[in-house]
Amino acid sequence: MLEGDDIDDSQYVSGLPGPLGVLDAVIARLEAVLLAIGVMLMAANTVANVVGRYVLGRSIYFSEELNQALIILITFAGISYAARHGRHIRMSAFFDALPFRLRKVMMIVITVVTAAGMFLLAWYSFDYVLTQASRGRQLPALQIPQWWIIVWVPLGFFLTGVQYALTAVKNVIDKDIWLSTNTLEGYDDSREEEV
Amino acid sequence: MIWAIFGTMVVLLLLGFPMMIPLVAGSLIGFVMLFGGIGQLDTMVQQILGGIRPASLIAVPMFIFAADIMTRGQSANRLIDVVMAFFGHVRGGLAISTAGACTMFGAVSGSTQATVVAVGGPLRPRMLKAGYSDKFTLALIINASDIAFLIPPSIGMIIYGVVSGTSIAELFIAGIGPGLTILLMFSIYSYFHALRHDVPTEPRASWAERRRALLRALWPMGFPAIIIGGIYGGVFSPTEAAAACVLYALFLEMIVFREMGFRQLYATAKSTGLITAVVFILVGAGAAFSYVISFAQIPQAILAGIGIDEMGPYGVLFTISIAFFIGCMFVDSIVVVLILVPIFAPVVQATGLDPVLVGTIITLQMAIGSSTPPFGCDIFTAIAIFKRPYLEVIRGTPPFIVMLLGLTVALIFFPQIALFLRDLAFR
Amino acid sequence: DTWRYAFEEALHEVQGQFAQKFKEEVEANSDHTVQLFPFGTLGESADIMEQTQSGILHFVNQSPGFTGALIPEAQVFFVPYLLPQNQDQLVSFFRNSKAIHELFPPLYEQQGLELLTMYPEGEVMLTTKAPVASPEDLNEVKVRVMTNPLLVSAYQAFGATPTPLPWGETYGALQTGIIQGQENPAFFIESTKMYEVTDHITRLGHNNFTTALMANKDFFDGLPEEDQQVIRDAVDAAFDYIIDYQTGLSDESLAKIEEAKPSITITELTEEQRQPFMATAEAVEQEFLKIGGPQAEAILEQMKADLAAAAEAAGGPVADETPTEEAEAPAD
Ligand code: NA
Ligand code: NA
Repeated sequence: MLEGDDIDDSQYVSGLPGPLGVLDAVIARLEAVLLAIGVMLMAANTVANVVGRYVLGRSIYFSEELNQALIILITFAGISYAARHGRHIRMSAFFDALPFRLRKVMMIVITVVTAAGMFLLAWYSFDYVLTQASRGRQLPALQIPQWWIIVWVPLGFFLTGVQYALTAVKNVIDKDIWLSTNTLEGYDDSREEEV
Repeated sequence: MIWAIFGTMVVLLLLGFPMMIPLVAGSLIGFVMLFGGIGQLDTMVQQILGGIRPASLIAVPMFIFAADIMTRGQSANRLIDVVMAFFGHVRGGLAISTAGACTMFGAVSGSTQATVVAVGGPLRPRMLKAGYSDKFTLALIINASDIAFLIPPSIGMIIYGVVSGTSIAELFIAGIGPGLTILLMFSIYSYFHALRHDVPTEPRASWAERRRALLRALWPMGFPAIIIGGIYGGVFSPTEAAAACVLYALFLEMIVFREMGFRQLYATAKSTGLITAVVFILVGAGAAFSYVISFAQIPQAILAGIGIDEMGPYGVLFTISIAFFIGCMFVDSIVVVLILVPIFAPVVQATGLDPVLVGTIITLQMAIGSSTPPFGCDIFTAIAIFKRPYLEVIRGTPPFIVMLLGLTVALIFFPQIALFLRDLAFR
Repeated sequence: DTWRYAFEEALHEVQGQFAQKFKEEVEANSDHTVQLFPFGTLGESADIMEQTQSGILHFVNQSPGFTGALIPEAQVFFVPYLLPQNQDQLVSFFRNSKAIHELFPPLYEQQGLELLTMYPEGEVMLTTKAPVASPEDLNEVKVRVMTNPLLVSAYQAFGATPTPLPWGETYGALQTGIIQGQENPAFFIESTKMYEVTDHITRLGHNNFTTALMANKDFFDGLPEEDQQVIRDAVDAAFDYIIDYQTGLSDESLAKIEEAKPSITITELTEEQRQPFMATAEAVEQEFLKIGGPQAEAILEQMKADLAAAAEAAGGPVADETPTEEAEAPAD
């Protein structure tokens, strides 16, 4: 939460080669923008509701649903962004105490298992989105299909899975231990580990 | 089933997996066992989304956002200067001021992590310079941040209120007494600590200096006015108050103090979004896990096993305190509340306990859990922003934890500490 | 087998009473057991509905107000002054309505649901800080409503400022004065302590809170005929039980409220006082026809015919245009 901790998106290097890497870098930038815009919109929407109620004597009746859509957007754009930068919360006290070789093996196991978990969730959330679309559930206030606001969910899980898979590969081919494709594990980077 | 689930979760946690994985794995095993396969994982996704849906959760990113803006700008520093001007000369005054600053900041923020950053950031260097040990300083900062969790507004109380259906306004008022009691306990402890270690005091500020500090803090003093006046004056709900703080913080830092430009606003919003995402995915995963626990009716089995129904009010309160204390030591406290509050709800109701008292005690345990090893989030925050090793951050905490547990016991036997103000206001 | 049954209220509230009776009947007349999941234990109203659609749950009790997100026609229960205030007419309507027994079931079927029954939960009452006798009294009054366009337009038509607010914040908002009113059946006003933070209870007679029990269709169709019969009989028994249970429930709840807070005023508006409120129903009906889905008109017409028949059967005066309007669901 300090300025020095801000992620400089222009320094981001994708873990993927070639055109895929370019695509990945674009996605990374998009995630960052969605996070920032999402948070600002949420504040604006909530304040506007208060203003509407007092100044205009009318509530923004869809305010709550809009915030719901934004929080889903922020969360699922954020989890893959956090995975890119090794920012997911983890308890590393015991891990840190292990010798280097064991840590390295463990990190590969961790990233592979995490990637698998994310892909599984991506698949089932994709299924969930399809199911919701077929049921035709509407958001009562906005009167739009509910699935519109959850399309980020499979995407977020999938992109998070990709990041962990890439990190696994990087840990296999590189001599160091990597938390994400461009975050080294290690004490000096502890701010990258836990927030 | 339950041991397979808990065992797997603890092992994955200790091995250093991202915390969402143990929670996801716990619910995954549960779903497979309950439905004989992975065919019903749609519902797991539904529950993850359900976990982050409650409208009141919006207050979390909003307060993180507001605090981050204030810390980057001048508002936080100016507020701290006022406290310093008045109490800097007292024996242990700087330490007491730190606790006092946490209390004041607590009227703005509902998050212990935000408080550690906002108060600890500027005050730790001053305390070290004044001769306090880092061991004491770090422990004081991460534990005094608990006050902010009890003084309204409080994320913990908002979530407890939503989950249990308890009036959030009543919870807020009930938190003031215990919050101030912690301030008192920590102040007395700081005084004796400073006395024993002969920590020098700062020179007494003149009234002119105090006046100057006050004047400089005139604008930032608007925060408590907005929140307390706004909520209790019927202008907005606690969630909306958080967003109003964001707006006011932006007004101060961008227009009045000209401390922040659009570039930094963007960076701050992004950082808020990132913190929100990593916390909320755990809230969601916790909700999916809680679904499994609820569907399989596991808590009923455990609670029947320990005979909580025959315990009477004191027994129930002690059981709740212990369960939440231990739970919050290991798991994100929000997740603990999401899981345990519905489990205890029937027995709380059956015993006729005041849900506001129960909520206050639970909130206190959540606050304590923020600074207890192994998983206290304030410990990680402190490691992150002060760049100190894990063990150094927690070395000084035991006396503080003991005081806080003492307050828990006091609350059980003297509920008026919490309920006095509530009864005054609402009864 | 174990049949799982979720509902939107606590065990001691109306849907909980219905569920317990259903469970008792099923277990007495078959080898099956029924596991009950009250409000919140498996998620919110929409969650338990989806779980029933995907077959994790076998039965779900959901009020049409919520089902409206899935079946827009169900929002007809939000149209004010559609349902009768006379209890006999009301019961006769729910027992015999062609709309409920013939028109709605195919709509539920499309969503994979077997509609088992609809039943009333009690008259919706408005609680406010200031007395209400006419739409003018609601001018500028912010009334908390659940997020639904029809409910919003109903209160707009009444002259109030409808304010959607999460249920968890309603008590606090009434206390601090962000809003000045909310509506619910009497038993719910009593159990959620809404009377503590408002001073006047007004019976506009604009609606009776309606709810519905349904089963997963594949599950239900897959049952042997005798099990289906067990379920139908249990539903009938629970329906009779709940009608009986409800007679006097509103009065009992109001008496409890008066005992807890003697200063509260409870006003039943006269027929004459209700007229200006009733006059606004037409606008809401139009809104319903607009957003109530393809069957909206057929459902509304049939409901009106059923209500006229119910009025005749009960021997009462022909329905005064009948109230409706899903209140904020108690389970909200
Ligand atoms: Na606070
Ligand atoms: Na803390």
